[in-house]
Amino acid sequence: MTLARRRQFAGAVFALPAILLVLGFIVVPIGQAVYYSMTQWDGITASWIGPSTWNQAFHNPTLWTALRNNALLLLSVPFALGLPLAIAVLLHQRVAGWRIFRSIYFLPTAISWVVLGLVAQRFFAYQGTLNSLIHFFGFSATNTNMLGYESTALSALGITFIFTMIGTNTMLFLTGLATLDTSLEEAARIDGAGRWRIFRSITLPHLRRFIQLAFVMTVIALFSALFSLIFVMTGGGPGYATTTMEFLIYQTGFNQGDFGTAALYGLILFVLTAIVGVVQLRLIGSDE
Amino acid sequence: MAEITFDGVTKIFGDDIRAVDELTLHVAEGEFMVLVGPSGCGKTTALRMLAGLEEITSGTLMIGDTVVNDVLPKDRDVAMVFQNYALYPHMTVAQNMGFALKVRRESKVEIDRKVREAAAILRLTDYLERRPKALSGGQRQRVAMGRAIVRSPQAFLMDEPLSNLDAQLRVEMRLEIARIQRLLGVATVYVTHDQIEAMTMGDRVAVMRGGQLQQVATPQDLYDHPANEFVAGFMGSPPMNLLRAGVEGEGENAFLVLGAQRLAIPASYNTSHDLAAVRGAGIVFGSRPEDVEVLAGEGGDAIMTRVERREALGAEILVHLSLLDAEGTSAFVVTDEGKVVTRPSTLVAKMGPRADVKVGDILKVRFNPERFHFFDADSGASLRRV
Repeated sequence: MTLARRRQFAGAVFALPAILLVLGFIVVPIGQAVYYSMTQWDGITASWIGPSTWNQAFHNPTLWTALRNNALLLLSVPFALGLPLAIAVLLHQRVAGWRIFRSIYFLPTAISWVVLGLVAQRFFAYQGTLNSLIHFFGFSATNTNMLGYESTALSALGITFIFTMIGTNTMLFLTGLATLDTSLEEAARIDGAGRWRIFRSITLPHLRRFIQLAFVMTVIALFSALFSLIFVMTGGGPGYATTTMEFLIYQTGFNQGDFGTAALYGLILFVLTAIVGVVQLRLIGSDE
Repeated sequence: MAEITFDGVTKIFGDDIRAVDELTLHVAEGEFMVLVGPSGCGKTTALRMLAGLEEITSGTLMIGDTVVNDVLPKDRDVAMVFQNYALYPHMTVAQNMGFALKVRRESKVEIDRKVREAAAILRLTDYLERRPKALSGGQRQRVAMGRAIVRSPQAFLMDEPLSNLDAQLRVEMRLEIARIQRLLGVATVYVTHDQIEAMTMGDRVAVMRGGQLQQVATPQDLYDHPANEFVAGFMGSPPMNLLRAGVEGEGENAFLVLGAQRLAIPASYNTSHDLAAVRGAGIVFGSRPEDVEVLAGEGGDAIMTRVERREALGAEILVHLSLLDAEGTSAFVVTDEGKVVTRPSTLVAKMGPRADVKVGDILKVRFNPERFHFFDADSGASLRRV
């Protein structure tokens, strides 16, 4: 064997465990999901039906409601990025008590989303904190019940989601800011730039990669980690007002016992998430 | 273009760290002023106060006729070259250089014209569309210069701009910066710890130590007439030989006591220096290595030394000598980063490359009698009458 051959061989050997893991835990399950999506499957026995399940599923209005909910929840992403960005920039200015604030903002990250969901539910409830606050500020006639109405439940969920993402994203942006060479900012100040100009022309371009990463993480969390919040806060309701794809998969599979259709929904969600990921990778990859 | 005036400028960090202590310094219009000193001497802090990056604790700082103590950096109209260049990594060379003009809302045509003009001066025309990442150290340095000169500012501030370059490039850029500064005639404050840069570039050099200004003078004046022991030891490489000595006798008969040896003090020093005040007490005697000469034959006013070490540098040899009788009784005072340390009496002589000296040789040396330096042993101040 030549040296080059040997190296190739060694490379293949070292890559093998990773390839097996990917095959076993990603490729095979996806294949299975495709198969099960065309069966009548109650979790134990599967009977083949064929692609007609797909036709049925796409005619199910609940699927479209769930997709629409997912799309609407995407509106929370700018806030889930913008708020942490603002907080990080403020903390980075070393405002008084920044250490305490840093811990406070990071706290939600250390708490289970189930707990956060319970807290949020109490917050938005008819006799909850939100109404107490409103009354405290003198609007005693005003009462909200955001989780109780189809029109507002999704907003409440979105707000809770933003809250849960603040910690992670703030930390990410703070890390980004910490890697910004302070002399760049000083150079810009001497070049005549004011605060806003420095933020726009120096800080933001520097943070670009961090923002991209936060964006991907936030969107993926939105698509695939909201379950516990929904489960605790609304159970997907009222009606299907807060049912996302992820929650729909659960409901279809475990509540209706239709694992075949659930598998299909899983595939749809996978494709959506993958598209976001690939688009984002392209954007990052196209840099310079 | 404008002049710069520090008037009793002080910077205190925290409660009691005096980084700059009562700095009073005037930089004339078009003058190239070098601030030099060891690390932590306050030179960079002084520059940063001038840039507006540090607040001034007390004193007055003026650019032109304006007191700038409370003026924001962006409104001071000074340009600064940073040690690490601080180029904006996501901008091209042209954008880096034009950033200040863009902030000032100058027209695109005007920005482009000025950037090209500066690029031509700095030989950067071919690199205008590159990012800093794709440039060599020397090119980055020139971009940093370019960013400063496109603005036609009131003053240039440079913070050790050459310290990240290799030795050869440093020599090149030293000439380049001096050339550009003379071309543009803008008052420049240049901070460095490198005394060769200070000597070669500055119209005048301000030596700082421990936050305090030691001396401001032209490079040659600084070299020939250091105001104190610190400046004497700091400027020049190798530094001035400084020997603790006694003064005895009077007038024509005054002599130095170096350990057990004696050295006549030429009479002229009685008038040019205030030797009477220290008669009997200790002083520090100084002589530059190039002023130490080997004397052949008998007689002459000389002292006996032994060769301890020789360093051949090619063009010259540095010969380390010890006073013969010393044996630790008299001490050689060296200043090292602001601390005075004493060592056995040794001195360095600069000799020609063909000088025939070996370790262990006994040499009779004399000090150039026209270039004696005397310092007060306690305060370190020069005894020269001004």
